[in-house]
Amino acid sequence: MLETTRSRWLHDCLGYAVAAVMVATAIAAIFLLAPTEETMGAAQRIVYIHVSVAWMGLAAFVGMAVTGGMYLFSRELAWDHWSRAALEIGWLCCSLTLATGSLWAHAAWNTWWTWDPRLTTAFVLWAMYSAALVLRSGVEDPHRRARLGAIVAIVGLLDVPLVIMATRWFRGIHPKSPHMEPAMRVVLVISIACFSVFFTMLLLLRRSQLRMAEMLEDLEESGN
Amino acid sequence: MVSKDLLSECRSLRVWPAMLLLGVVVALMFAMQADLPPERLRQIVGGLLWLTIFFAGTLALDRSFAAEREDGCWEGLLGYPVSPTCVYLAKLTVNVVALAALECVLIPLFAILTDVPLVAHPAPIVTVAVLGNLGLAAVGTLLSAVANTGRQSSYLLPLLVLPMVIPLVLGAAEATRLAVEHDFGPDWWRWVQLLAGFAIVFITAGIVLFEFAVEE
Repeated sequence: MLETTRSRWLHDCLGYAVAAVMVATAIAAIFLLAPTEETMGAAQRIVYIHVSVAWMGLAAFVGMAVTGGMYLFSRELAWDHWSRAALEIGWLCCSLTLATGSLWAHAAWNTWWTWDPRLTTAFVLWAMYSAALVLRSGVEDPHRRARLGAIVAIVGLLDVPLVIMATRWFRGIHPKSPHMEPAMRVVLVISIACFSVFFTMLLLLRRSQLRMAEMLEDLEESGN
Repeated sequence: MVSKDLLSECRSLRVWPAMLLLGVVVALMFAMQADLPPERLRQIVGGLLWLTIFFAGTLALDRSFAAEREDGCWEGLLGYPVSPTCVYLAKLTVNVVALAALECVLIPLFAILTDVPLVAHPAPIVTVAVLGNLGLAAVGTLLSAVANTGRQSSYLLPLLVLPMVIPLVLGAAEATRLAVEHDFGPDWWRWVQLLAGFAIVFITAGIVLFEFAVEE
């Protein structure tokens, strides 16, 4: 038991260290390696974080729906732990996408918000994530919560392509394929990779917390 | 089950009058605020109409399962000797009829209040309304079953449904605007196809997922 706890502790410490190194690498690349853009200046560096968190927000949504579907198929709560962890990390990433998108919009177009297709899609995803969080908070039975959460996640995932299509058919001002110097592209790839590892570590940690909370509840119930 | 729900509503008049009244009041408030030149009104009337339909229609969608819960009919409903898919399709049909009744009132009302010729060429508007109803009722019926199993059903349904139906509201609003402007080119067809696609995707999803939503 002691060995298992120590091994888990070492495992977690290694995870934190990897996550910290990844964030430090991404920040160093963004501020030291990436050249300063001529028109927007230093504000253009927002894009490296914005694209990274936007990608993670979408990936977490897919992960949430897939693991939700696996729960419906297998009825094992372990899948719901993944789904719930993905929901929470996805919500965080979507919130960061909206915040960094808004900062970018202000720096680039002198407005805090535009009905640009991609920003609108991020907003719709954020609203879906938030509704799923509210739904889960109101259901106490873990299996019922997992079942309802999975349904909303799957319906939401089916909706995403339709949201992208509908918002794209409105004229937007988002740069479709922004011109980037090779050094900028390298930094963008480094940033996406580092933040992906960082948020994956957060996801693993949250999933581990949820699993332990369930084990604790089971122990309490068996004690009573 | 469809006739049971419609007969029950005709006898008790519990939901539809409230839904119609809410639709009329919201329409009046929108029209009051939208005191704009005719060409601007033509551009926004579709959006206002479909938002009103959504807000008032949510009442009917929410009550489709809340009433069963309150009256202790839930177990009876699940005990019907039919598959959950049949229950879903029956509830979907009732909700489509409710939304159609709402539109029969709201579309002429918007035409009168805004002086926009919404009923001059009925066929395109009816096409948009039918597809919009199917999509909204498909998502709303499934999520109403989901929302009514929690303890916060009354406010949860709009919260769940509105983000999901954003493509539908955008599509219906744009198709209505183009129909009012007699522009039935590729753009109109594209939005109509989006509405049809939305309805097909979510009716299929409802058929597959409904049995998980009503599990006890």
